[in-house]
Amino acid sequence: MIGRSAVAIFRRDFKKFLSNPYVILMTLFMPIMYLVIFGNAMGGTITHIPIGVLQEDPYNLETPLFTSSLEALNSLHNSDDPDLFTITTYTDEKSAKSDLSQGQIMGVVVFPSVLTPERVVRLYIDSSEYVVPSLIESGVRGAIGKTGYQNPIEVTNIYGKLVYIQFFGVGVIVMAIFMTTMMGGGIALIKDREMGIIEGYLVTPVKRSSIILGTIGSGTVKAFLAGCIVFFVDILIAGITIRNPEDYLLVFLVLFITSIGITSLVVSFASRFSNQQEYASTVAFMNLILFMTSGAFYPVIGMPYWLKWISVVNPEAYAVHALRSIILRSQGVSVIGIDLLALTLFSSLAIIIGIVSYRRTLE
Amino acid sequence: MDSSYSDDIIKIEHLTKIFSNKKIVKAVDDISLSVRHGEIFGLLGPNGAGKSTIIRILTTLLKPTSGKAYLKEYDVTKEPEKIRSLIGVCPQNGTLDIELTAYDNLEFYGKLLNVDDLSLEPRIWELLEMSNLKDRAHQQVRTFSGGMKRKLEIVRAFIHKPLILFLDEPTIGLDPESRREVWEQVLNLNTHNTTIILTTHYMDEAERLCDRIAFVDQGRLISLDTPDNLKKALPSGDRIEIGFTDLRPDLIASLQNNPLISSVEVKGKTLCIFSKSGNKVLPSLLTTFEQYSHEMLSITIRSPTIEDVFIYLTGNNLSNSGDNSGINAIRGAK
Repeated sequence: MIGRSAVAIFRRDFKKFLSNPYVILMTLFMPIMYLVIFGNAMGGTITHIPIGVLQEDPYNLETPLFTSSLEALNSLHNSDDPDLFTITTYTDEKSAKSDLSQGQIMGVVVFPSVLTPERVVRLYIDSSEYVVPSLIESGVRGAIGKTGYQNPIEVTNIYGKLVYIQFFGVGVIVMAIFMTTMMGGGIALIKDREMGIIEGYLVTPVKRSSIILGTIGSGTVKAFLAGCIVFFVDILIAGITIRNPEDYLLVFLVLFITSIGITSLVVSFASRFSNQQEYASTVAFMNLILFMTSGAFYPVIGMPYWLKWISVVNPEAYAVHALRSIILRSQGVSVIGIDLLALTLFSSLAIIIGIVSYRRTLE
Repeated sequence: MDSSYSDDIIKIEHLTKIFSNKKIVKAVDDISLSVRHGEIFGLLGPNGAGKSTIIRILTTLLKPTSGKAYLKEYDVTKEPEKIRSLIGVCPQNGTLDIELTAYDNLEFYGKLLNVDDLSLEPRIWELLEMSNLKDRAHQQVRTFSGGMKRKLEIVRAFIHKPLILFLDEPTIGLDPESRREVWEQVLNLNTHNTTIILTTHYMDEAERLCDRIAFVDQGRLISLDTPDNLKKALPSGDRIEIGFTDLRPDLIASLQNNPLISSVEVKGKTLCIFSKSGNKVLPSLLTTFEQYSHEMLSITIRSPTIEDVFIYLTGNNLSNSGDNSGINAIRGAK
């Protein structure tokens, strides 16, 4: 009888499904979290873009163009009323541009010192972000247009015109590290335990620390290689360019610290779960939160306040920021120092947690 | 061989292990025994008797609740690292990496077990030869049959020529031919001056391989001796079973008077007669039945096996389910 056996199979599957409340919870929770996090991380309105304004030398008096443009820029609001720009007024062009190249501000508007109609207003934009450059450009054009002055506007994208794939590609490097360790490393570890391979180690004179070192070491190298491969694919396909040879070293450094941290984190997770399903659903959830809030898809600046907080404690956000700074903006240690610090802190913590929880499974 | 048996290599004193997850289970209950150097020592008992727990304690995977266990002069709880370099273990559940080849599995363990690099390769080939797996050396273990996997796992436990080799249910789930091959291998390894501890619930296996057998049931040591002595300890001798439809009590009385018969029992529709010499008593049995014109449905005569000793000692057969054949014990073992 087809029906009877089908019912039997149906019942068996259902019994198993219901016997694991954790997995049920996670499977229901996931889509809801997708809605909340993905929806907010991707669709957020971008506000408070930091820009600088200044009037070029020789500086005499603020021209009416400058004052009325500044007023117009200040009065730009989004529909639900937060300011579009956070404006800093500079007195010299050099410090404004250096702040721009250090990532403190995302655009600089330079107004002419003498008000004749043919003098240009220069606009420098940090073009490495997604959406933000066009918002700055349209905002500035709109504000100056409102003043009634007809001065031409000269736009410079300081990192050239980047396409979305270049912006996104950098995020995917970090995703590769995450995926390799979460799916490959963690599940392999749980499978090893299920198959008794780990128990096999334990009756040999192998030191517990060698087991841990070997496991985290191999995971780190796998993750690191995955990151490197995607990095080179980015160069080939997305067409990103690396300007200095030492930038490669910085990229590898960031990839390495990130790999060892995430691998250790995964080892600790895999030690906690004896069940592949539970592990997989937890990890998928982690991946969702960490990747979505990392700024890989969409600028962190566009996220709602509470999501920004997650990105503050999200190691992937630091990794993405560091890589973007090096790869897209060719910025050095002065900019990514804080990212390196955060990543090192995270990795050290993860290594400790990883060792402690893995060791417990070996006792 | 006997003279080299004098020194004890394993000593267990009042060993107890209590598991207290949800339900408190006394898996090992005050066991004391010792294993002699160079012997094949069998731990025999039904599933759940505590055999694997004893092995897991001796191989440093579990800590005893109380009592002591020594391998050579090392205490299992105090010097586990020392012990791990003395022993080879082939656990009950396979721990081969089925995604690696046979060669790679051996090489990996050789490295874990500190076999030096120079002798490792010839050693691996020697072991592959020993287990008849030479031509499959570079194939993934997942393609192997159950017997091949088991043989590989046993030689893997032996790669560093351990002083003591633990085999936990080495032939579980194997077909008769593979079992015979494994037995051969075990006997072969024993000639290398290795002490072998093996657990099994197959009586024939224990009888065939072991120099001495310890019967374990419900965590307790019931008896420990050579197979021959164990059998001698059976008071009854050969066992003759006669099937019948109905039985007259005076027949039993008459049988009991026979000097060759040591005891008579009725189990359902079977009459069990025990005698030191079954062959001699059989003709007189037939005469007695004829005399009472009593019908016989069947007649079987069996010499005592280790299983009989076990049943005699525990009142249970190895399947521990109360039915009357060892077949279930074998069937149940998957």
